[in-house]
Amino acid sequence: MTTFLTSLLATFTTPMRIDTAPASMLWLLPLVATISVVYKATKVNRIALRPFAKETAALFGSIIVFIAVAALILYGIAWVVTGQLPGLLDPSAF
Amino acid sequence: MGQSWKENHALYLIVVGAAAWLVPGAGHYLLDEKRRAAVILVAVVLTFLVGLYVGSIGVIDPVNAKPWYAAQVMNSPAVFFLGGHVANAYHAAQDEAGRQARFGRGAGQAMRQAYLVFGRASEIGQIYTSVAGLLNLLCIVNAIYVAHQRFVGGAHA
Repeated sequence: MTTFLTSLLATFTTPMRIDTAPASMLWLLPLVATISVVYKATKVNRIALRPFAKETAALFGSIIVFIAVAALILYGIAWVVTGQLPGLLDPSAF
Repeated sequence: MGQSWKENHALYLIVVGAAAWLVPGAGHYLLDEKRRAAVILVAVVLTFLVGLYVGSIGVIDPVNAKPWYAAQVMNSPAVFFLGGHVANAYHAAQDEAGRQARFGRGAGQAMRQAYLVFGRASEIGQIYTSVAGLLNLLCIVNAIYVAHQRFVGGAHA
């Protein structure tokens, strides 16, 4: 038991290995779920399983859609600034 | 006969706020909102623990990451103890590194004693623990607001 507890506590003193691959963006999903759950827990009048789950899922979905739209817009801006603008501003093109 | 603490408005709000900070969800528990309290407790504590697991306790850094620490402290006063432990380890490692440097040795071995964490794990750990703290702050404010509403509603009734 003591060995188990010690090894369990030891896992909290060593960071996980997470690379910077695009898949690491999936870490935002549990965070968005928590934000949705806690926010809705402070907003709904009464906590009943079905309506609460429905409201939380709706908030979760709308946050994810908003993040996706913001990411697309930022990607578009980055694509124009780094890929298209240098070619347009190049004096040798005229 | 002394006034009941629930009849003293300011004291009641302070007790609810302090309880909500001490243990996430305890403020709502005092207001007899047991389901709400359970949801808040599980969500906030789980998020905080996931952050600690991913980034290690090194993400609670009162020395080099003060703004993040301010948000993390909103989880519970227990974060002060974690922060103190991490800060002590950091200062001890720095002192040891200074001693090693006087003998012309590198500081790498000494600084390994500090809970230093870098890269994506540090980012994710810090974000998770800080967001958990900010969510608990939302719950503290909400518990105080509900307590106030009930008190005012009760006084008008």
